[in-house]
Amino acid sequence: MDEKQTELKKIIMDTKTLPTLPGVINKLSALSDNDKSSVQEMARIVSSDQVLSARILRLANSPSYGFYRVSTISNAMILLGVNVVKSLAISSSIFEVMEKNSVGLWEHSLGTGVVSNMIAKKLGLPECEEIATAGLLHDIGKVIISLKCSEAEFEVRRIIDEKQIYMWEAEHEILGTDHAEVGCWLAKSWFLPDKLTEPIACHHNVEASANHRIKTSVVHMADVLIKASGFGDSGDSFVPLIQQAAWDALKLNEQIIAELVEELEDKLVEVKNFSLELQQDCDAPSP
Amino acid sequence: MRSRTSALNYSKTAMLPPLRISIVSSDAQLTSHLQLRLQSRGYQATGVPYSGGILGLFYSDPPDLLIIDLSADGTAGTTTITALRSDSFFSTIPIIGLVSPAVYDVFPWETSPLDDFVTLPLDFGELFSRIALSFSRIRRIFDNNPLTRLPGNTSIQRAIEDAMGKPLAVCYVDINHFKPYNDAFGFSHGDEVLRMLARIMFNAVRDAGGGFCGHIGGDDFVFVTSLAQVEPLCRTIIDHFDQIVQNLFDEATKRQGYYNGTNRKGEMEKIPLLSIAIAAVPMNSDQIRHVAKVAEVAAELKKLAKEAEGSHYVVDQRKG
Repeated sequence: MDEKQTELKKIIMDTKTLPTLPGVINKLSALSDNDKSSVQEMARIVSSDQVLSARILRLANSPSYGFYRVSTISNAMILLGVNVVKSLAISSSIFEVMEKNSVGLWEHSLGTGVVSNMIAKKLGLPECEEIATAGLLHDIGKVIISLKCSEAEFEVRRIIDEKQIYMWEAEHEILGTDHAEVGCWLAKSWFLPDKLTEPIACHHNVEASANHRIKTSVVHMADVLIKASGFGDSGDSFVPLIQQAAWDALKLNEQIIAELVEELEDKLVEVKNFSLELQQDCDAPSP
Repeated sequence: MRSRTSALNYSKTAMLPPLRISIVSSDAQLTSHLQLRLQSRGYQATGVPYSGGILGLFYSDPPDLLIIDLSADGTAGTTTITALRSDSFFSTIPIIGLVSPAVYDVFPWETSPLDDFVTLPLDFGELFSRIALSFSRIRRIFDNNPLTRLPGNTSIQRAIEDAMGKPLAVCYVDINHFKPYNDAFGFSHGDEVLRMLARIMFNAVRDAGGGFCGHIGGDDFVFVTSLAQVEPLCRTIIDHFDQIVQNLFDEATKRQGYYNGTNRKGEMEKIPLLSIAIAAVPMNSDQIRHVAKVAEVAAELKKLAKEAEGSHYVVDQRKG
């Protein structure tokens, strides 16, 4: 491992928390306590945010609780308790500067989570919620890179424009690694279960996925479809092909893809409305 | 530990004998002075000089709290408390050391099994506060189950006594087919299931407006809630447990609904996935006149709750 990678890995090991969008936090703070509908709303908001979800899963899987494999937000809420989840959520740090990139990435992550869930359900796969969570978290590495290596990130964005390449390729040139690997390091150091870690690590290389190839394939495909739809901003605007390994693992055909694309259009209208709602809350003063 | 609020509320609990404190010191004047001050506070205080028979005295008649003078030369004090603590029965008796400030730097704090200390010469106000604090701390943590950190049997007994005659229900929870799960998947996974059920219960009870949750031992738990909440709460706990359990088995096992394991007789058998049984006993029934009766009624209800496969709860419907 070269110097850059070692340095980056050390940064990740020291990362205990990551900032999230102010709108998400404001909305959570405004929820009343001990009311059934607000618990469901809390779950919905938390599951829309890749950083909050990752933090809550980190706590649920931490050795002090002694649970070995908590991979969904609803299970984390059952085990940690509503109070713990809410306190953890509203104590999150927030992005001080609301910039276009972080909203774009947030939308891309949310969209990939939603579409992962849609694909999993369509194909009748088990553990749809786990797959949705993996989709939501798949680009968590980008949050770290943009936060901890902002100069490098600037360079990454510059060479994407200049050379017209994928973001992960640009990251390799500048950092010697990419957001999938960085995300995987974080997921491991936060004790997230393999069924989440592997899709994060392999969403650009499905063939490398050994134990959770189906989940990885869904996340990869959702990532591709959401980029193709133009929803959110993942960092570059190039749509890759769906990899053969994913195609095989999910036994896809063109018919299924066509149906999925149609469903996706409707779904994205809902997601866009939710996103706008949260962004409005960003501008409003905190309650 | 006897159940007790505090010696300071002695008037309220006048039926109970006073808390007993032993004072170990070779300083007769200090001992008698301490005895007097403690007695005026409602404690029963006994002076014990250092001697060879000191441990025997404690073994035959253990005090509720021990104050030991560690200011004298030699290691008699530390030897005594180390010996006492080596028997787990005495590991819960609070021990307060009397220490002279001159030894702060050299006292073996890290290896000494003390709970607290007070500086000589004594500030009695401080000593009384530390005694009260020691009792409150022991009530808080002694009884807790180390695995789930839920209160144990002493607290459960008290919670059931407190619930008698009130519009509350005492609910007994256990896990169906827990033993074969433990045998097939190992103790650490069995412990994980117990910790999960404890959290599920604790969170559900709190979200339903509060109540009591305790861990009897093994896979047996108890919670106390209002009669109005008992059914929705049982349903929530069952839903949550059934959902969490999905994470513990692989896809193939979940699809077929069983795994191969050994039953109580040691024979190979198809073991169903984990589920829970809850027996709820309303406490305002005339039938419940004694704490022991609660467990008896619950045991009968449990049989009903376990008749069908899967998680079920039964609320006692019998009147008076």
